[in-house]
Amino acid sequence: MKVIIMKELLEANDRLAEENRSYFKENHVLCVNLMGSPGAGKTTLISAIADELQDIQIGVVEGDIASSIDADKLEQKGVHSSQINTCGECHLDANVIRQGAEEIAMKNGIVFVENVGNLICPAEFDLGETVRLLAASVPEGDDKPYKYVPMFSYADVVALTKCDLKEAVGFDTTYFTKGLRAISEAPIYEISLKKGQQREGIKELAAFLRKKYEEV
Amino acid sequence: MHELPVVMDIIREMDEQASAHGFHKITEIELVIGELSSIVDESVQMYFDVASQNHPCENAKLKFAFEPAMLKCRECGNEFPHEKSFQCPKCGGDAMLVKGSGRSFYIKSFDGE
Ligand SMILES: Nc1nc2c(ncn2[C@@H]2O[C@H](COP(=O)(O)OP(=O)(O)O)[C@@H](O)[C@H]2O)c(=O)[nH]1
Ligand SMILES: [Mg+2]
Ligand SMILES: [Zn+2]
Repeated sequence: MKVIIMKELLEANDRLAEENRSYFKENHVLCVNLMGSPGAGKTTLISAIADELQDIQIGVVEGDIASSIDADKLEQKGVHSSQINTCGECHLDANVIRQGAEEIAMKNGIVFVENVGNLICPAEFDLGETVRLLAASVPEGDDKPYKYVPMFSYADVVALTKCDLKEAVGFDTTYFTKGLRAISEAPIYEISLKKGQQREGIKELAAFLRKKYEEV
Repeated sequence: MHELPVVMDIIREMDEQASAHGFHKITEIELVIGELSSIVDESVQMYFDVASQNHPCENAKLKFAFEPAMLKCRECGNEFPHEKSFQCPKCGGDAMLVKGSGRSFYIKSFDGE
């Protein structure tokens, strides 16, 4: 006898994510889930945003397969960090985020969650964040929104990083934007943070996040 | 590899359903997987084969139904399932993702005896 149940899966994570959302709200924290491939420039981006938003407390929950290099780097800069090693897991879920957030115990500020470098798995997992920030770097190619539809459709804002490399890799910004616009209305910030060069685009992205923080 | 926890949820749900319906065996489970859900059917199958041992749903056949994301043409309003292109098959216009479509992941039905 066939029984129809229409039982949603992933419910357990979504419930925890909602709890995290209220936890962040009560503590007046803007939680930013930062996703992107390994090497897309996520850690560099957090560090540059912290420079721009000196008057706002910044915290980081670092998700990494095994090391704590990124957390150490940011901690040296005065960004309060906690490290979650996923031991091979491909993404962070709502449960571990709560542990990380409680460890840094932040009130009134912005907490970045640097997700595991991966364009596939993190897309499905709501962490209870307010803003989903996707770092897509120029050398990855202008066709990524066409290939990674879940991830790009999930983003609230896209940081197009390493724009200083556009010419070198022949990046077609119009094609990239067209692909993104088919699946998302997320604003795009074009950013360049090459060491030893004038920084570009980071003030605008920082201002966007400041506004989101003020809305919490 | 993020499929393991959801497979455990499926097995737990089937344990409960089996006892609620007085089935000693679950023979088939129908799962709906949205294109944008980041769930891979082969991984679900792989974890299920191992984790369902000694549960009523051991050896149950998993049937996967895929649900594409839907796109809506900005020019003519035509709605069509996403296959490869973001272009409208009717008029060639640019299309836009229908919000929320293709995200599901759920157990639709099961069969037992
Ligand atoms: N040319 C260039 N390199 C960058 C830029 N941003 C980051 N990088 C470099 O890219 C590499 C990876 O950056 P990182 O922030 O560690 O990436 P993550 O793995 O996403 O955290 C580092 O060597 C950075 O110095 C940029 O805007 N331009
Ligand atoms: Mg990093
Ligand atoms: Zn059309």
